[in-house]
Amino acid sequence: MTPDQLTQALNAAFTAGGEQMLENTMAIMLPVLWLAVIALHLARPYMLHMIPRFTLRLAADIWWILYVALRDLVIVLTFIFSIMFLFPDVLLADRLPITGGLAALCLFAVLVIKLVRDVDEDRRMFILSGNLLGLGALLYIVPSVLGLQATGVTDTGFWGSIATFVTSSTNPGLAVPLCWISVAGVTALGIYAVVYSLRQTTSPARPELLSKEVLR
Amino acid sequence: MTGLLQAISQQDLTNSLVQAMVQGEQSWLVSTLAAFMPGLWTLALMLHIARPYMVRMIRKLTLRFAADVWWLSFVLMRDAVMIITFALSFIFFLPGFARNIPLPLTGPIAGVFLFWALLVKLTGDVDDNPRHYRLATYFMVGGALLWLVPQVLAIETTSQPFFAPVGSALTSTNHPDLATWILVGSVVLVALTGAYIFNFVIGAAMREGPSGQPDRRRAEPAPVAAR
Repeated sequence: MTPDQLTQALNAAFTAGGEQMLENTMAIMLPVLWLAVIALHLARPYMLHMIPRFTLRLAADIWWILYVALRDLVIVLTFIFSIMFLFPDVLLADRLPITGGLAALCLFAVLVIKLVRDVDEDRRMFILSGNLLGLGALLYIVPSVLGLQATGVTDTGFWGSIATFVTSSTNPGLAVPLCWISVAGVTALGIYAVVYSLRQTTSPARPELLSKEVLR
Repeated sequence: MTGLLQAISQQDLTNSLVQAMVQGEQSWLVSTLAAFMPGLWTLALMLHIARPYMVRMIRKLTLRFAADVWWLSFVLMRDAVMIITFALSFIFFLPGFARNIPLPLTGPIAGVFLFWALLVKLTGDVDDNPRHYRLATYFMVGGALLWLVPQVLAIETTSQPFFAPVGSALTSTNHPDLATWILVGSVVLVALTGAYIFNFVIGAAMREGPSGQPDRRRAEPAPVAAR
């Protein structure tokens, strides 16, 4: 091996190793984010219960704003972190939950529902969002626990075969089709969201703030 | 391995390690940024099209103060994400990277589209004029597609033989000359747009003259709709 070849080998090792370290760290963080998503969604009754206790309307409004902003921001961040499950190469190179892409699809569906319907006022939509979030959390956390975090415990036998089945890099035959289904779903929902947003935007965002001169 | 280490002098090994650390970490950083860009693009697009949701939320707030806090947080975050995405896109205007590291071929054009969306925001009123909102949305969607499609179908799909032609067509390292031309064209467009923005802002200030006063029209107070 020449020094040049050694340099190239080390170069490739730094690039691939750094990328996999980053992706695996994100995969390990995601169960925590999913739990936060579920917890904040289910905390709605508690938040509503708190509102009448405030003596000032300002405090009540700020409480509600903070809750809604935090809840929705965590969902958005979790989806952004989950985008790597839409890349086939990442799924095949790293040990990731095989249904991570479908979990991301559930999350994106909830975001689109929040865009087109009022989840805080419409009970049906709240239940639908809750079910989708629950399904997404299961699709992520179960294979994550059984496949990725059980190394050493489930190397052989029944649990070993389960771990192999639910890990993306050891079951590429299923991982890649699931990835493409997720990509197609996210694309379709994304197109719908853009069209909806364009159709809805027919008037100023805050007409109450426009002076009569501007409105004329 | 022992034989390998004996065959290479200490100086050569040191040089190899130093080169590998510098090039490898640079390559890793740029590749990581490229892989992170879809996240930023998605976030920017999501925040942009979230307008109906944000407007619906405003109607529920009982105080104008709360509505203002909600609106300013939304606008601040939405625009900050756009600016950060554009700032990071600037790395992909550097010719050396596009020729040596596999990047989306149309990445620089995506950066131009994002810059044009920012231009619409600066020169128009995206929040109150639906026509400007639509124009900015078209630029955002176009830019996102120009980044996301090659990133997902080419850069991150090298393991799929079915997509090999797409991967080959949309990866910068497979077409270094075309990538350079796209990059140079994009840099020119960014420079022209930047010059227009400079002229728009400074020219407007100069037209006002030394005694020019900023627009002091105040919005008439009006209650926000009840929850």
